[in-house]
Amino acid sequence: MKLELYNQIVKSGLTRRSMLKGTASVGALAAMGGSMPAFAGGGVRAEIMKIPGVGMGSPGDPEWQKVGALCMGPVKERVAEGEFKGVELTFMGLNNQNLHNFLFRGFLKPWEEYTGAKINWIDLAQADYNPRLQQSIATKTVDFDIIEMGAPFEGDTAGQGLLNEMPAWVKDQIEYDDLVGYLQPPVGTWDGKAYRINIDGDCHTFCYRKDYFGAGSITGRMNPPNTWQEVNQISKDVVGKTDPLTGLPAHGFLDPLKGWGGFGMYFLTDRAGPYVKHPSDPAFLFDIDTMKPRINNPGWVQAIQDVMDLIAIEGAYPADQINADPGTTGFQQFLAGTGSMLTWWGDIGSNARTSDTSVIGDVVGFSAIPGSDRVYNHNKGAWENTYNEAPNNAYLGWGVYVTNRVEGDSKKRKAAWSAAAHIGGKDLSLWTSAYPSGFQPYRNSHFNYDEWEAAGYDRAFVEDYLGSNLDTYNHPNSLNEPRIPGIFQYYSVAEDELAKGFAGQYGSAQETADAIAVAWEKITDQIGRDSQIALYKASMGL
Amino acid sequence: MQHEISDRRRYLGRTMIWGSAIILLFLVLFQSLHQVGWLESGFTTWRPTLYAYLFWATCLCWAQVILYGEQGKRRLFILPAVLFVVSMVIFPLIFALGIAFSSWNLSSPDGRQFNGFDNVIQMWSDPFYWNALKNMVYYTFAIIIEYIVAFGLALLLNAQIKGRKFFRVAFLMPLMLSPVAVSWMLGKSMLEARFGPISRLARELGWDNPSFFGSPEMARSMIMMMDAWTFIPLMMIMILAGLQAIPKELHEAADVDGATPWKKFWEITFPLMLPVSVTAILIRIIFKLKLADIIINVTSGGPGGATDSVTSFIFREYRDRSNVGYGTFLAIFYLVIIVIVMTILIKVSDRWMKPRH
Repeated sequence: MKLELYNQIVKSGLTRRSMLKGTASVGALAAMGGSMPAFAGGGVRAEIMKIPGVGMGSPGDPEWQKVGALCMGPVKERVAEGEFKGVELTFMGLNNQNLHNFLFRGFLKPWEEYTGAKINWIDLAQADYNPRLQQSIATKTVDFDIIEMGAPFEGDTAGQGLLNEMPAWVKDQIEYDDLVGYLQPPVGTWDGKAYRINIDGDCHTFCYRKDYFGAGSITGRMNPPNTWQEVNQISKDVVGKTDPLTGLPAHGFLDPLKGWGGFGMYFLTDRAGPYVKHPSDPAFLFDIDTMKPRINNPGWVQAIQDVMDLIAIEGAYPADQINADPGTTGFQQFLAGTGSMLTWWGDIGSNARTSDTSVIGDVVGFSAIPGSDRVYNHNKGAWENTYNEAPNNAYLGWGVYVTNRVEGDSKKRKAAWSAAAHIGGKDLSLWTSAYPSGFQPYRNSHFNYDEWEAAGYDRAFVEDYLGSNLDTYNHPNSLNEPRIPGIFQYYSVAEDELAKGFAGQYGSAQETADAIAVAWEKITDQIGRDSQIALYKASMGL
Repeated sequence: MQHEISDRRRYLGRTMIWGSAIILLFLVLFQSLHQVGWLESGFTTWRPTLYAYLFWATCLCWAQVILYGEQGKRRLFILPAVLFVVSMVIFPLIFALGIAFSSWNLSSPDGRQFNGFDNVIQMWSDPFYWNALKNMVYYTFAIIIEYIVAFGLALLLNAQIKGRKFFRVAFLMPLMLSPVAVSWMLGKSMLEARFGPISRLARELGWDNPSFFGSPEMARSMIMMMDAWTFIPLMMIMILAGLQAIPKELHEAADVDGATPWKKFWEITFPLMLPVSVTAILIRIIFKLKLADIIINVTSGGPGGATDSVTSFIFREYRDRSNVGYGTFLAIFYLVIIVIVMTILIKVSDRWMKPRH
């Protein structure tokens, strides 16, 4: 669960019992987001959910250790006490918000005591993560046995043979098949071999202001948009009108027009997805056989054009939008009452109701990313006038991987996988979903409505809130980015070219897209086209 | 003292230097051959070679005393520093030159590949880099205005004004702030288009939709102003120190001769301040050429590269795109430009450093 969500609940002094009473509980439950799992399962699951108990203060190292100890069952089934005595492992991960590695330390303390192994830690800030990883790979100084890593980096690691294949017993231990649809293979696998133990889920959803829709609203529409065509029309329609909440000028969709270290590309992809991701074709960024960029095909160009159309209309975006990155659109604009529509990760949803700086808590609504009333069929080279949806599973969430440093030492290998499997365990993940951890639900078992209902939650709420996430996760045409080496290099250079296009330095959307395509071709050639094609195919499970 | 050193001692000293040097050279050669694959055996890392270098450096220093006695001890004041500079500056620079003429994308499975002049050709046709260089020219020319403001403030603080000590400290405060803090405090907060206090004031004054980073010219000007706000105090304090060093008698003599305040400034103060001014401007240019943090934080080089500095562009190329070879080449090329321009500037300014007669 996100930290801010939990803090808000704790701050309000609610116990789980009092939270479930009366109308106040509705807001609190909403604030809990899609992460509160069942208490009704009994056994370990019920027991860990009482540590420390909602409203009993923020959990810390003693709680993490307790949870880790209670979830040791699957480890003990496969590892004898003291079996890893003398083994030393190095774990590289993040220290964001004092979570991630800090939790892992606590969870693994009882594991270390039981198995006799010792874990050394490399804690990294988010901004240092990518350079540290890339430099380790390039200079052949991989100095960690276990790594917490996002799926987009699988190309850089698994693709270069740096990871160790997951043993079959680990799959059994973590109940591998319990994953939501989009995290199922090929994500986490290369050439059919599994490498990733999931610990998180990620996707973009559509956030909108409910007070912009309904009878008498300034848009005059009863419902939020279903397509990007409608999104753009609404953005044009509200120009010159007044925001019903803040009294300042009203605005429609908030596109981030400034780069964000590559992450800004996900937001153009939100728009482009329904145009370019044809259900019959797994690819949307590159041709699989040639790595030829598709970024300048008519579908992508339409998405860029949609943004340029709004830039051309004075007042469609807030002033200085050209200087707004996704952090600005999400936290400084949307949450502060500027603009009425946005796509983002789950953070906006959780902050909308719990952050002190948010003014939209009562008027915010969520749905899956809009579709399009036409889709470009790249293989046929023609538009098809059929409705298409393609929600974006941007970044694919965090996982834990074991590096090939453990190869040749069966004891060390088993120890590394045992440690990784412990923190990716089914029961333990229930706890990380419910308490501050920085991780989101990612297993089908996290979405068991019966369990939620049995635990006392309102079924309609749970189905609505968790259901929208689950729909995106399991959507048959969702966007799963290519996990090829250097994917963020492609994103980063695209941001630079888009910034030029949005600033009017290129003649058209097509020219902007062509410039990105040229830059992408250069990157592909530099990294190595043949190897990129091979790795792209491997990442797609082809 | 020199005559007291025995032949045996001299022999020992030379043996130490050459013996350790041979060990170092052997290890360098051995490890290099292993690295290029010509030799099967070798160390997994260059660490033993580093130890050999440290051993040689220690022997070299020690041998100075053995060989030259008291004179050698004096050499020890400078020799470790020289060795340190060689290992931390000269050697990395040579290494960087090797990288600069390579294609080295950290994501490439092939690793570093020598690519001759490909990076030169790429730079030649890279509009982002030339745009950044052009921006650096704009940013550097802004120093003239900064200098005038700094001189004015220094004159003011040198005059007998009320609360002089307070203003001296107050004007120095921006220099104490990190440029990162400045970019968040000013660029991201006070100048925020919708809720920033400066934007609100601008709306009060009749500017409907204040936008400080929307147009290229405006964004560039704002970056210049934030940078100037931080570093004008540096020039000011240098000029102020210079002003205080001017003998009072000169102005008194001018008063006796009935010179006007302008005459006194133009004929006495300004010429006497030329050496300090040139130094202040040169130091400021060096600071300006490093400009990156404010840009990275506030605009990321936008809109459309209008505010990009060379350093902020290289930062993106190197860090976001892991394009180490090309990024290093751009940095080396920038270094060469800086060395040439600064050398010319120092030569030219030598003439101005001498007060007018």
